[in-house]
Amino acid sequence: MNTVTMKWLLRREFWEYKGSMFWAPLAVAALLVLFVGGTVIYGLAMHNLPSHVTINGQTLNGIKVGVTLEATRRIAQLGSSVYLGASLPLFALLTAVIFSYCLGALHDERRDRSILFWKSLPVSDGMTVLSKAITALLVAPLITIVLGTVASLLLLLISCVTLSLGGVHLFGYVLSSPDLYLSPLRLLALLPVYVVWALPAVGWLLLVSSWARAKPLIWAVGVPLIGLLLVKWISLAAANVNGEPLGLMPYAQDVVARLLGGIVPGIWFTFDGVPPAVRNDPNGAAMDGLVSSSYATLAHADAWLWALIGAAMLYAAMRLRRFRDEG
Amino acid sequence: MSSVITAKGITKRYGKRVAVDGIDFDIPAGRIVGLIGPNGSGKTTTLKAALGLIPFEGSLSVLGFDPRTQRDDLMQDVCFIADVAILPRWLRVKDAIDFVAGVHPRFNREKAERYIAATSLRPAMKVKEMSKGMIVQLHLALVMAIDAKLLVLDEPTLGLDILYRKQFYQNLLEDYFDEHKTIVITTHQVEEVEHILTDLMFIREGRIVLAASMEEIGERYIEVMVSHDKLSAANALQPIDRRTVFGKSVMLFDAASNGISRQQLAALGETRNPSVADLFVATMKGSYA
Repeated sequence: MNTVTMKWLLRREFWEYKGSMFWAPLAVAALLVLFVGGTVIYGLAMHNLPSHVTINGQTLNGIKVGVTLEATRRIAQLGSSVYLGASLPLFALLTAVIFSYCLGALHDERRDRSILFWKSLPVSDGMTVLSKAITALLVAPLITIVLGTVASLLLLLISCVTLSLGGVHLFGYVLSSPDLYLSPLRLLALLPVYVVWALPAVGWLLLVSSWARAKPLIWAVGVPLIGLLLVKWISLAAANVNGEPLGLMPYAQDVVARLLGGIVPGIWFTFDGVPPAVRNDPNGAAMDGLVSSSYATLAHADAWLWALIGAAMLYAAMRLRRFRDEG
Repeated sequence: MSSVITAKGITKRYGKRVAVDGIDFDIPAGRIVGLIGPNGSGKTTTLKAALGLIPFEGSLSVLGFDPRTQRDDLMQDVCFIADVAILPRWLRVKDAIDFVAGVHPRFNREKAERYIAATSLRPAMKVKEMSKGMIVQLHLALVMAIDAKLLVLDEPTLGLDILYRKQFYQNLLEDYFDEHKTIVITTHQVEEVEHILTDLMFIREGRIVLAASMEEIGERYIEVMVSHDKLSAANALQPIDRRTVFGKSVMLFDAASNGISRQQLAALGETRNPSVADLFVATMKGSYA
């Protein structure tokens, strides 16, 4: 019963936000394939092979002079290990989509008063808020991962076909590279890390969405920023009196970054000083390192403490929805 | 018969304003109750309290549940149309049916589709493409297909034309209502519902001023077309309302409050049962002043 209801609630969210959740990333993915792919074809067709190729800091020389087997192998390896990088714009879009989705999710239904229709059905407030959190934390990222993988694979295919017309045959190497198949799985493996790190931000945004009578965007961004200014002002005042700053600023900045920046994929690298492990590894272990160093950020208690705070804010959003009188 | 709603000392304040002022009432099963009062009298607030939509003071039991703490259980057996609720603009007719069928165990899909087939609604239509009347039709079709023990309708036919309003109340009686169901209706169009009501509750400034079955009301309130020569005798019996129709005085008497008998009144002129609308106007006198 409960899982059936949840299925319908998730479907409901998808109906309502199909435009931003599905059509927008699909359009961006299509444009990516069209323009990047077009540029690759055009560039290679007009100017023939470049004398050197730089992919992710790896420079390959002498391609034009005579493509050695070794060079071909290295290009193929690089291509099959980093091709998902082409989907980066989709993940930037994802951040914007989740941000606006969370702000609207519990606010729009109150603004147009359709909340009274939803509440006339045997669906609890807890289930409803949970369905919205799941949509933000899992459904939207999954759609982006799938579209990003498909777009990246198409771009890799276009590049391979174009290069093979120029005499560089990559297909065999690319198709036999384990990275080709592992990369999407690694992206998928990052999803649980994303859920933990995005939970505080999703909780905060849904809480504001459920609480604000109007202009949730102003409240969601304004409250943390004004808080930050206040802390800065207090620290400065304290510094004038005591001669030394209170040292609150780093904490305040940390809070604001988690509440607003948590939904940015990969934000976890900025917190613990873990450098992105996108190393210049010609064997293409880049994505592999990315996964293990991402999971390493979960070893800190901070991440889990904040995930708990995020869950508490979701609970508060649920209580607000339960008794909010829309007059 | 067991009670569907039992309210004791329900009070709801908005800031300093008291919207509902310690009301008590009892609604037995198998009744169609008209909750009638002017705007701002507290009728919507009372219904919201019963549906667990707002916090309040006092004790309230709906189908044996406390709507404050047991709303999720309560909603399995209750359905409602709130006066200001609208359907979301992005919702399609077929999606709405799928959704309600998916989450409501007591929803009869075939019935909803039958109601919708009788309208100009089409399955692929979105709410934003509909007229106000069509939205109400969709909402009513969804709600009428739910086999709820208690149905609360707050201004259900607002925005519908007369033909569909009549049709709706007819469906409600013939197709929906039975002795196991209870319906609470509020509406401004009193004359359209009075023939289907079994009970009447008048609410004014947050208090219940009259709660009785239609039979009791028929016995208690009598309207008399007083002939000219009996005017002073009639006035002596303290009518609760008087008006003039085609030069004749029509007076309304409350037989219960000052021990007047029907025979006494019959001597003054032609007697009849007042309409709910006239009774309402007489009871609410001064509310709008």
